[in-house]
Amino acid sequence: MSQETGINQLKRRDFLRAGLVFGAGAAGLAAGYAAVPDAFARAVYAAKQGGVANDNVLVMIQLAGGNDGLRTVVPLSDPTLHDLRPKLSGPMVSQALPLTTDFGLNHNLSGIKGLWDKGKVAIVQGVGYDNPTFSHFESIRIWETGDPTRRQVDGWLGRTLATAYDSNGHPLTGCACGTTDVPGALRDLQATLTVIQDQKKFGFTGGSEVEAAVGALYKGTPGIYGALFDTAIATANDTIATLRTSSASYQPMADYTDKVKLVYSSKNQLAAALQLAAELIVTGTGVKLLHVTLGGFDTHYTELNRHDDLMGYLDSAVGAFYQDLAAHGMANKVLIATWSEFGRRPKENASGGTDHGAAAPLLLIGDPVKGGLYGSAPSLTGLDATGNLKYAVDFRSVYQEILSGHLGADSGEILGATFDRVPFLQAAVAAV
Amino acid sequence: MQNLASSHHASGTDWVSPLTSESARVMHLLRRATFGYTRTQLEAALSAGFNKTVDSLIETKPVEPPVLAAATTPGGRFAIGTLQQWWVDHMLTTATPFAERMTLFWHGHFTSDYRKAADDTFMYWQNLTWRRIALTNLNSMLMQVTTDPAMLRYLDLATSTGQNPNENYSRELMELFTMGAGNYSEEDVRQGAKALAGWQLPQPDSIATVVVDKVKNVTQKLPVYTSQKAGVFNQKRAFKGSVSFLGTSGALDTQAVIARILAQPATAPFLAAKVAQHFVTPQPDKAYVNRLGDSFRGSKYDVKTLMRAVFTSPEFTAAANYRALLKSPTEFMVHASNALGATGLSKIVVASGSGMGQSLFDPPDVNGWPNNGSWISSNTVVERVNFVTAALGHVKGALPPSKDATRQQLDGVLGPQTANLLNQATDEKSRWFITLVSPEFQLK
Repeated sequence: MSQETGINQLKRRDFLRAGLVFGAGAAGLAAGYAAVPDAFARAVYAAKQGGVANDNVLVMIQLAGGNDGLRTVVPLSDPTLHDLRPKLSGPMVSQALPLTTDFGLNHNLSGIKGLWDKGKVAIVQGVGYDNPTFSHFESIRIWETGDPTRRQVDGWLGRTLATAYDSNGHPLTGCACGTTDVPGALRDLQATLTVIQDQKKFGFTGGSEVEAAVGALYKGTPGIYGALFDTAIATANDTIATLRTSSASYQPMADYTDKVKLVYSSKNQLAAALQLAAELIVTGTGVKLLHVTLGGFDTHYTELNRHDDLMGYLDSAVGAFYQDLAAHGMANKVLIATWSEFGRRPKENASGGTDHGAAAPLLLIGDPVKGGLYGSAPSLTGLDATGNLKYAVDFRSVYQEILSGHLGADSGEILGATFDRVPFLQAAVAAV
Repeated sequence: MQNLASSHHASGTDWVSPLTSESARVMHLLRRATFGYTRTQLEAALSAGFNKTVDSLIETKPVEPPVLAAATTPGGRFAIGTLQQWWVDHMLTTATPFAERMTLFWHGHFTSDYRKAADDTFMYWQNLTWRRIALTNLNSMLMQVTTDPAMLRYLDLATSTGQNPNENYSRELMELFTMGAGNYSEEDVRQGAKALAGWQLPQPDSIATVVVDKVKNVTQKLPVYTSQKAGVFNQKRAFKGSVSFLGTSGALDTQAVIARILAQPATAPFLAAKVAQHFVTPQPDKAYVNRLGDSFRGSKYDVKTLMRAVFTSPEFTAAANYRALLKSPTEFMVHASNALGATGLSKIVVASGSGMGQSLFDPPDVNGWPNNGSWISSNTVVERVNFVTAALGHVKGALPPSKDATRQQLDGVLGPQTANLLNQATDEKSRWFITLVSPEFQLK
């Protein structure tokens, strides 16, 4: 059988078109994200010289939907809270787990409170940025790219992969666990990374013959998606090989469960995702940057139970993860950090929920942190014109500390600027 | 281990567009406007030609899916898989696949998920409504979207009041459904929320007492609906007074809010851009979007006019836009089933969606599903391959001739690797496997 070979040389115009194949979506286009990166003009898989050599690991946990900061780190002694939230404030203050006289953790964060008591939790309060947007998707993109001016299209962790590590041929350097698509924070056309929704199901059901055929099929694929396709298949094949070894040698040393009480069932299996993260870390796969997500934080409605349940889910999953790492002697290498696109409106709405807000606290957890409160809690009486909390710490200050202090990466290059320090780490690693 | 550097160097090539030929244009149209085709469907379209096929796609009245018996289950508490399979079965068998393609498009646009809607009967109704309005007029569509029970739950309008409004629906109505971020102010969101408050869920036909825990003998009273209903407006919960919304002041009701949105210059291009990204090119240029937007607005927001403008635009069949789009998981799987002429694959289709990133009635967030390149990751490509393995394992009896598939499904435009592997394959099943897992078949 003879076949035509239907390809021709891709022109530069097509490379430029390729810049947007990630599909910012109509919302993104309208918001000005149509700027096309010139990344394809650079060598996409260029190997990195002089990369970072320390063996620290970062695990980012996205609390998607906008986590309510006031219900996470609760102001205990401000009477304004009750005026703003007559329905939501009562139990949240009386049941909170006190950290200081003025602040307490959500009562369902008892495991994280236990780690706080051991000095392993740093809380940065009042984190946000100038002129906050109240759109989920704009704010997510700002946090993912580390750029409130919305010009940057690559993710901050993706840029870290691309500038600080040699991810070429080591696809597990960056890994999103428990999802099917590439999180924006890890996205960079020059970075290779893996996405694993469910480790047990990750692999070709047709066996090694199929694996080989698909590997041969996806080589030099033409068209604007060609490089994306080929990389995804090559990455999948490398990952399958790595997982074969790692799952054989990994024994979980903690009780991970996703069978938790929630008002709505969760799209994400946070505990399973963190268990996979633990496996990748403790079996020495070379993983550096991990990303997991827990959704459901967009609590416009019946927030009381929903948010408490989500806090409980986060707490049990993070608790198991830390315990597992510690039992494997790896807790000193791993920094866990939460992020969310925004906090919520201090004043509650008619639905017993809260609308989109602004500044909120971030949690940093693990042996590398120097426990305590950082930043400053926004005033409940000095709200901004939209009725929202004013930020005190630029979120990129937190990124900067993680990049330079924990990963030993060049934060100035990755973030494009320097920010005020938030010294929440025990000891900074040696710079590159 | 793959050598990524060399794969990059080899990838500086593009497909040769066959779209100068009428038959290729017809196949291109069917791949984008429907869920692919069986041989019979393709032959009918080829004999009608491109223009007549556009006419019949747009002008044929959508065929309703069969009634879903489970919809009268108290509280809509039936398995979501039942609803997913009901829809996929209809996608596979319908005589009006363009209506299904548009219903899927609107499902990703005016999106809701079954978890928060918390009543699968409401999700079933939403699907029926989206199909009925899929090719109508944005003005009436927005009224139906606003008062749709699943939407009232999903974006919280059902619990909002004029006195203490919930902003969720007001914001997403403008940001995601019509205008796009940056084209309204935060004050518009707040004022819009006041004006929209008052809608509630419809009254059920009866209340059933259902045992929810047999061991502990726990019962629950759940609503039963014997027919489809829309939300109802409760004047007592509405805002009493004047609002200032998108440049107008007064006592605005929902219809007036929609009218203000349709009067904004951002609305038509916003929707035109999204349609173009899903049907034409991942990055439509501004002039094209404005042209489509002008035709949409000029027709008083008639969706048929917009879709006709899309399919008959030179951009739709431009060489640069050949294989410029990626099939969504649902499109890919239904296309594959049709190409195989196979029925009875809907269970596999439903079971395979999640690993590729698309579970029907369960979008990742209020922005629906991402598109094109966002469908590609190490996880999703493996799952696409696994679907083909499962589908070919399930097909009983003879497969259609694979040599025809090269031309009918892949236009005879093959990359070197696909061509090599097809030449090397020794049996029909292997050739079908390569055809369906090939990059060519993932694209449209």
